[in-house]
Amino acid sequence: MKHNRFVIKIGGASGQGINSVGEIMAKGLKRTGFNVFAYREYPSLIQGGFATYQLDFSDRDINASSMNWDLAICLSRDAIHNLITNLNKNGILIHSIETTVLSRKEKELIEEKDLKIIKIEAKEVIKEMGGIKILENIFLLNIAWRLLDLNNKVIKQIIKERFIDKKKVLRMNLKCIEEAQNYNLPQGINKFKINFSQDESNKSNLLITGNYAMALGAIAAGVRAYYAYPMTPSSSILTYLAKVAEKTGMLVKQAEDEITAVQMTLGSMHMGTRALVATSGGGFDLMSESFSMAGMAEIPLVCIVAQRPGPATGLPTWTAGGDLNMAVYAGHGEYPRCVYAASDAGSAYLVVQKALNTAEKFQIPVIVLTEKQIAESFYLLNNLPESLEIERGLVVGKEIENIESKDRYKITDTGISPRWLPGQTPNTFYANADEHFEQGRITEDKDESKKIYKKRMKKLQTLKKELPEPEVFGKEQGDILFVGWGSVKATVLDVMNLQNQKNISYLHYECLYPVKTEKFQNIKDNFNKIVLIENNYSGQLGDLIKLGCGHNFENKLLKYDGRPFFIEEILDYIESIND
Amino acid sequence: MTNNSKCVKYNDYFSDQLYTWCTNCGNYALHSALKRALVAEKIAPKDTLMVFDIGCHGNGADKIDAYTVHGIHGRVIPFAAGAQLANRNMKVFAFGGDGGILSEGINHLVHAIRCDFDLVFVLHNNRNYGLTTGQASATTPKGFEMNSAPNGVTEEPINPTEFVLSLDPTFVARGFSGNIKKLTQIFKQAINHQGFSFVEVLQDCPTYNSATPHNWYLERVIDVDIFDNYDRSDIKQAKKICKDMAEKIATGVLYKNEDSDDYYTRQPSRKDMKSELVEEVQQEQITELLEEFR
Repeated sequence: MKHNRFVIKIGGASGQGINSVGEIMAKGLKRTGFNVFAYREYPSLIQGGFATYQLDFSDRDINASSMNWDLAICLSRDAIHNLITNLNKNGILIHSIETTVLSRKEKELIEEKDLKIIKIEAKEVIKEMGGIKILENIFLLNIAWRLLDLNNKVIKQIIKERFIDKKKVLRMNLKCIEEAQNYNLPQGINKFKINFSQDESNKSNLLITGNYAMALGAIAAGVRAYYAYPMTPSSSILTYLAKVAEKTGMLVKQAEDEITAVQMTLGSMHMGTRALVATSGGGFDLMSESFSMAGMAEIPLVCIVAQRPGPATGLPTWTAGGDLNMAVYAGHGEYPRCVYAASDAGSAYLVVQKALNTAEKFQIPVIVLTEKQIAESFYLLNNLPESLEIERGLVVGKEIENIESKDRYKITDTGISPRWLPGQTPNTFYANADEHFEQGRITEDKDESKKIYKKRMKKLQTLKKELPEPEVFGKEQGDILFVGWGSVKATVLDVMNLQNQKNISYLHYECLYPVKTEKFQNIKDNFNKIVLIENNYSGQLGDLIKLGCGHNFENKLLKYDGRPFFIEEILDYIESIND
Repeated sequence: MTNNSKCVKYNDYFSDQLYTWCTNCGNYALHSALKRALVAEKIAPKDTLMVFDIGCHGNGADKIDAYTVHGIHGRVIPFAAGAQLANRNMKVFAFGGDGGILSEGINHLVHAIRCDFDLVFVLHNNRNYGLTTGQASATTPKGFEMNSAPNGVTEEPINPTEFVLSLDPTFVARGFSGNIKKLTQIFKQAINHQGFSFVEVLQDCPTYNSATPHNWYLERVIDVDIFDNYDRSDIKQAKKICKDMAEKIATGVLYKNEDSDDYYTRQPSRKDMKSELVEEVQQEQITELLEEFR
């Protein structure tokens, strides 16, 4: 148990129910009264391979993972060899594998760290009780629960909720829990002593992924149509919205490709409802011409891009923050746009609402970046934040009577022209992706082209004035200032929460484009070191900040192996630059 | 489609922009027939959304007064579908050419038919790429010399109506720009069909298509109405009669299935909903949905 957290890692092959066990355990820990963060790793295949589910829990706020664990639950032989290495001192590994040959190195490790490797006769017990093979995972889960010395009532309750409609499955699961409770553990195994205080209020908290939070944020913000083509790690937004569509009345459509998805979104937004589309980097590549069209025709558009490592198909089920440049520069021609990035489940809920308001008020395309790490990890939240007021920037009330067709792209001081909806007035308008003048008709005249181009670009300045500066976490002076965006926030904040890390601060960019650098410039000289931290190779935010204010980041902590930042990596980095 | 639009005049659809198409372009007749049909059906410009693709026909987007959209190449169908789903009080049209619809965005055509979105889609088939000065399209006759195939087109052409009929559509018509009266009747029926109305319009391109000019069609076009026993609900008859594109080219409403529900009507999430998506944008309570995450 290091860094004020206890870590459980479940490993096995895809198809062995790793995810279900992880989710049940996460919920169990939450309902016991702990703070918990759940992180998944899995390969891009349906059966086989090696997948894990990691649960970090604590009595303080945690939103990122450790790279070492105290208890490993292994459902496959691969899992044993993979998970033994990073066990903490006095760690326990339980498994149900018939024969395992440990290497000499592994045996040394067991000796050195005083690890316990325990074979559990799960297969035999399940067979005897007439259960199906997959129940092994529930059996091991409950053995683990006993080792944690926790009450299995919560697990029983979760199982009951999960299989409420499947009586036979439920009966077998409950029997399995009983068997695990009565199972004779080998001699000499000491249960873990979890010293964390249990907080009653955690029991009613939410355990939610970034994707679910984002979908809920969209529902709450009045999104009435959702279009998407499946692509990891964005797909659970589609499947969740489809699952609850009969409750919400939302029209949810799986399109034949990403171009269709974005064009249907544009059509619905143009007509005047709120629509949304999500994809990952490769899918967004296909949308970039449509994105450019939204810029030219001034049709509001919000696209969620759930990042995974590229280029091309890359690492489909892993995480990255490498698509910032794409978001800022995709699409031909010059046009105003806005780029936001979520950093955890709470921010995912709000950032999609911010994006919808920005898109409608400024009549521009907006990208919301998220990452596999945010999209699929489970975060503990007291509640979702309060929803934002809906701002649509539409012509309202009596004003509509004074509207004329030529007002649609009217040149104004802010660059923002009146927007009304098809069907609202006999004064129709022409939404044009060809260059056009105020009334929308095509123009090739040099003066008109220049004036309307300037009008469009003016919106970027207006938008920049309205956007907030990046947020400072910690004091505005100290030893190290980390600067980053996306999921790195959670890891840096987890590190800052540790008692011995008082001199660290973090500057977080939620709105990345147009980039604001005033706050950064004001505080950067108050720190001994400025460190750029990003989940990509080149430090893309660093480049944007450099463009914005000329600052050259000398210290960079960059990671591009498909994994998120783990707390130890930041702790080690702090130690290395302080040497 | 609202009550105050009962009295719709032909002039209401006039724009103050001048037409820029070539003399004798088939688009003039098509626009004329379209306006006549809309007036006959008492649909006002205010209640009409027209989505135009890239190409010569797209340059007509500001030559007709309605709520119009001029998008990017090949993508009119999904844009129009998204718009129609959002507000079914508007009559939605999508226009595309043989380039944008049978090459660049042919996938959208296929899936829009599968979905049966309730919109009128008009295929301007002039059998070449006019605006880019006469390259071959997917409907250019094989062997014909085009500037992108100076020794003659080597690919087999697609027969659009035959292709569409293979996809189990609910409304298929073929018209000819040389017959405004007939084309008007076709548009009227397309407007009244609930579902995806596919209307192919064979039209002259006086500048770049010398393979199948106006007179070529005049000598070949026949109207299915001349057959006493033509059954529009029989897809087999339609498939048979549409094949001939060389001697007797059948025009008119070739196939209609009135028994199928359109996409929106089939959505369980929209069942019993009286309002349109455009009327529903407001803050929603999500408390109940949060229970599964506790």
